[in-house]
Amino acid sequence: MAELLLEFEAPEALARAARELQRKGYTGLDAYTPYSTDEVRDALPERSSWIPYLVLTAGLCGAGGAYLLQWYLVAYLYPLDLGGRPPHMPLAFVPITFEMGVLCASFAAFFGVLWAGRLVRPWHPVFEAEGFESTSVDKFWLSVPASDVPEGRQALERVVDSLGAERRLYVASEVRR
Amino acid sequence: MTVADPLLFRTSDAELHEKIAGITWRPRGWGYRAVLLFALCGTLWLAFCVSYTVARGIGLWGNQIPVAWAFGIINFVWWIGIGHAGTFISAILYLFEQPWRAAINRFSEAMTLFAVLQAALFPLLHLGRPWFGYWLFPYPSTMQVWPQVKSALPWDAAAVSTYGTVSLLFWYLGLLPDLAAVRDSAPQRWRRRVYGLFALGWRGDERTWAHYRKAYLLLAGLATPLVLSVHSIVSSDFAIGLTPGWHSLIFPPYFVAGAIYSGFAMVLTLLIPVRKAFGLEKLVTVRHLENCAKMLLTTGLMVSYGYLVEYFLAWYSNDPTESYQFFVARPTGPNAIFWYFMLLGNVLVPHLFWSKRLRTNIWLLFALSLLINLGMWSERFVIIVLSLQREFMVSQWGNYSPTWVDLSILFGTMCFFLLLFLLFLRFVPFTAASELKELRRELEHQARHRPRPHALPGEGGAHG
Repeated sequence: MAELLLEFEAPEALARAARELQRKGYTGLDAYTPYSTDEVRDALPERSSWIPYLVLTAGLCGAGGAYLLQWYLVAYLYPLDLGGRPPHMPLAFVPITFEMGVLCASFAAFFGVLWAGRLVRPWHPVFEAEGFESTSVDKFWLSVPASDVPEGRQALERVVDSLGAERRLYVASEVRR
Repeated sequence: MTVADPLLFRTSDAELHEKIAGITWRPRGWGYRAVLLFALCGTLWLAFCVSYTVARGIGLWGNQIPVAWAFGIINFVWWIGIGHAGTFISAILYLFEQPWRAAINRFSEAMTLFAVLQAALFPLLHLGRPWFGYWLFPYPSTMQVWPQVKSALPWDAAAVSTYGTVSLLFWYLGLLPDLAAVRDSAPQRWRRRVYGLFALGWRGDERTWAHYRKAYLLLAGLATPLVLSVHSIVSSDFAIGLTPGWHSLIFPPYFVAGAIYSGFAMVLTLLIPVRKAFGLEKLVTVRHLENCAKMLLTTGLMVSYGYLVEYFLAWYSNDPTESYQFFVARPTGPNAIFWYFMLLGNVLVPHLFWSKRLRTNIWLLFALSLLINLGMWSERFVIIVLSLQREFMVSQWGNYSPTWVDLSILFGTMCFFLLLFLLFLRFVPFTAASELKELRRELEHQARHRPRPHALPGEGGAHG
């Protein structure tokens, strides 16, 4: 499989092209953009992110774990009687519980993005494309899965002709895990 | 509030990119090198003083009973407070959708990171035996002794290390698109390689952006209570103690307000010379500086209110030691000069910002920001040293004076901070280019959708 990359000047043009292609039945579109825009987001199929669930779970686990650990240390393993204060004192456990919850949730958010975006890979097929560097500066690229059959490609090319892309390039598809 | 700066409209994305990312590959002049050399020398001096302290012990410092906490804690609280404005700008103003933050958020977040780094040095050295620092962590030792988590000091360790880590993650996540932009456009191959490694293979595909937007928002949401909690927890180091001058419920909010106050002052101290030196007057406008001055006015008034409540409580408690501390020891006791610096910097100076003419006078702002930094440092000196000098029993009273090692380490951390900051300015795109491009686009959109006789059809006008 290959992918066809189309370069556009502005997100509105990309959004129009994406809608047109989807109307013609092409699926699996993706966009590469220098910044996130509403136009591009709305034109592509809705993507829900599982990051919030991950962050919530990690935060709760971090906070719960920290509370249990504190209880285990000062109420169970090494209880000290200081001025008759109870060994298990929830109020005194609040700060560390909160901090560890935030810490774990933040790690989840950061590494969640790296995992979800399949990052931490210095090489990717799209980096081979000539001129694709503009994607992080000021150009908007749409990627369309292109069939390997010549007829399929010709059909796609005909649709693309009317979309007004500045440049078109074929690259190898990413091997999805 | 929108910063509908027409200058932002007139630059295209490519020009904006060249302006911001280009800083990382354009050679720097002699001025930069001279300041860098100065900062490097100061940092080496810091390294020497730290080694000397570790080798000989903290007897080299001026700390002496009754003032067992002095420069170590003053500088810790001061540096950590400075960091707060960075998180405030990057997280809280993001949640409140204040678009003007985009031009200065990366810069202020870096200030946070480097300030936290300086802060972390002091408690570590103050341990006296820093090589036992790992005792703060609960690890199974043969002695079967565990950290006492009901004490405020482990809270502090948890709060500060979490704060530093979360600030780093938030900063780095925001940096990814811009590092990728440098990777894609730097003129030299080796630069592309190095930035390519740090960009972690960022491609900016919509699938990643969808997760990124959520994660960035969540990190902002997590950092918001975090920034309020950190200085609250730092203040409990004092508020939980019985020492007159410390034992007060006003401490957490008053410390947080003071932290944000000192942080905004530091933002101005750094921003004003940098925008001049790098020619960024069009991106970081007078409006930005004025907004910072308004924040100084607001938080300065909160700090003044905190002082007022402290004095009221000292009088109202009818406790002779409290009254003595606030009404005699602070204005007239040893080292009282810092009390006057504190009032000058934190109570009088903010009132100048009522005037728009003074708020927009850039070099005056710079001078006042230095005065505020001094005022906030003095506040911590007053809280820590002046309180400890005059505790309950007259036989316990004493005086404090710092040694040259104390002063050198304070000066050294400033140089180290400056060094890190200069390197950051050199190697990292220090304005969030991707966010500014997005902001520019949104402002254009707003402008276009306002009722005007000739609304532009399509996207044609975007680059006009």
